Amino acid sequence: MSYPDENPPREPQGAKIPPQKENLAQRIQKVFSDLDYPLDEEIVEEILQDVRKRVEQEIVKQRRKEEKERREAREFVTRFNLNIRVQHFLLAVAVLLLIFTGLPIKFHESAWADIYFRFLGGLSLSRWLHRLAAILLTGISLYHLFYISFHPEGKREFRLMIPTRKDFKDFWQNIRFYLGLSSQKPKFHRFSYVEKFDYWAVYWGVVIMVVSGFLLWLHDWTLAILPKFILDIAREVHSDEAFLATVAIIMWHFYNVHLNPHNFPFNPSIFTGKISREKMREEHPLEYDEIFIETLTTASTSHTTAVATSSPSSEDSSPPPEPSEHHL
Amino acid sequence: MKISKVWGVIFLIGGMVAVEAVPGFAQVDPLRRCLLCHGKAGFKEVLEGGKERPLYIDVEDFRGSAHGNMVCTICHTDVRTIPHLSRPRRIHCLQCHYEGNVVGAPVERKPEKYKESVHGKALEKGDPRAPDCRDCHTSHSVRQASDSASTVNKRHVPETCGRCHLSVFTAYSQSVHGTALSKGILESAACSDCHREHDLLPKDDPRSSLYPQNVANTCATCHQNETLMRKLGIPVKQVQAFKESFHGVAIEFGFLKVANCVSCHGYHDILPQSDIRSSIHPTNLAKTCGKCHPRVTAMVARGKIHVLPTEPSSGIVYWVSQFFKWFTILVLLGLFLHILLDLFGRFRAHRTT
Repeated sequence: MSYPDENPPREPQGAKIPPQKENLAQRIQKVFSDLDYPLDEEIVEEILQDVRKRVEQEIVKQRRKEEKERREAREFVTRFNLNIRVQHFLLAVAVLLLIFTGLPIKFHESAWADIYFRFLGGLSLSRWLHRLAAILLTGISLYHLFYISFHPEGKREFRLMIPTRKDFKDFWQNIRFYLGLSSQKPKFHRFSYVEKFDYWAVYWGVVIMVVSGFLLWLHDWTLAILPKFILDIAREVHSDEAFLATVAIIMWHFYNVHLNPHNFPFNPSIFTGKISREKMREEHPLEYDEIFIETLTTASTSHTTAVATSSPSSEDSSPPPEPSEHHL
Repeated sequence: MKISKVWGVIFLIGGMVAVEAVPGFAQVDPLRRCLLCHGKAGFKEVLEGGKERPLYIDVEDFRGSAHGNMVCTICHTDVRTIPHLSRPRRIHCLQCHYEGNVVGAPVERKPEKYKESVHGKALEKGDPRAPDCRDCHTSHSVRQASDSASTVNKRHVPETCGRCHLSVFTAYSQSVHGTALSKGILESAACSDCHREHDLLPKDDPRSSLYPQNVANTCATCHQNETLMRKLGIPVKQVQAFKESFHGVAIEFGFLKVANCVSCHGYHDILPQSDIRSSIHPTNLAKTCGKCHPRVTAMVARGKIHVLPTEPSSGIVYWVSQFFKWFTILVLLGLFLHILLDLFGRFRAHRTT
């Protein structure tokens, strides 16, 4: 982007543009030369001042933006890559749509379901929205399976998601810390046991809902090859797991990412992909150490590459002692 | 016109009371004069073309009827002289049984209901086969439905309806309801228990007991009656299970082509599951379900049909439901405790610093 500057242009912008020897005042005169009468000196000067002011403002703005980007690069780390962010977003859309169109069927006798169905004009639209969302959920789940099986980033993330003995120790340590029996907070790696629980709860839920949902959707085929009691189980499971998942999401997921005083009103990491170094050091100290110690040793400036190349060390037995430092 | 009739009736009743009051007259049978002819067995009229029309009145039967203490002329008001030379006018029950009548003839809005019914509508259109009151209630032996000799008594309802609906009567007689009724199990359903009597509406009328959305409730009048079903040894939760099933919920939402009770069980020819001819006999289930779900195989017979997950009799579905119940309670309790601990820990740490 080039601005009309009072200084002569520093770089020639192309052969077609004639070399600009005249100063800004002359250029202004030239622009207005079509007028019936020439501009007098005073007006030219006024315009000149105005243009200069604007250019200066623009430069300041640009510099601030660059400064901010540098600061962010210094203070923030990429926690979730775009692929994972998009997966989470589509999963959230599908699950919310499924809940909104599914629960009124489970509680079809309630007054609020009645209001919902009156609003949508009956069951038909709701049914098809539910199936549309089901296809989205199935699609995103299959993609996720592919992602964690074959994509190098996905494989690495999934390896870090597998529960280990340390997670149970962390859980116990955390309880002790909450109760005041220990002053040590457990030190988490990339995924704490809370996040692992969340992930595996979704994993279990999606498998159950997708399998039972398709058995119900394709009930004619189901009854052609499977006994009827399988269909009955599918229905019961679909209904019960839907309720469990909904309440768990409302209670657990909303508490952890929204209502928890630490994150209130909401933790944007999964949408922006970024986490501040400060927060990372507090919540994922082991991952933090891994990245930044490695960064220091390899003198690399890119954190993302550091994340991608660092090897998981989740089998750490006990967290190394840390100088008494309480993060609140 | 009507008023003069009413006065006529009152006059006659008054006359009867007067006759009763005078000694000597009391022994005179008030029906005697009519019975001089109509009391003779075989008294008949030969119509043009050789058809015969019986005109004999069985006096004992008449005396036992709801109108047994009345004289002929209360209804046949146009018979004044004996022998009457002209054929008496056709009479109608509504002569007395109308709202606000002064002779005390009972009316329970039934005539109004009848006018709305399929029979009433057909009559209105001039269908000569359409039944009027007397086609079911008879003319001269009208009795309360509770009277076992009545044509509208439960025992006799199928025959009464079957006089016109012969094929239905044949199918019904072989059904579980028909055989039970003929064995004297009066709790069994006769025609009128499902179709109703006077407000017998076509099945595409939303008010009809046979409208797809109302069928389950019609069956529920007996099949959800716990004391009755226990007495007869019939499962009682079937209607409830249906209403909670996909079919039941869909029909509640107005998908009328969805299966209701009769889609699988049949209606006039309902047979118990144990009967090989029954549409719900395990070997026939695939065919029955196949009416709507053409790909279904005999697999459909493997498992209960009316499943209530809350009933232990539902087997594995019950256990799955129980597992999820306790699993949900445990998980949510655990999560809730963890959240409480987390909050507690944060506040405690906040206070100490």
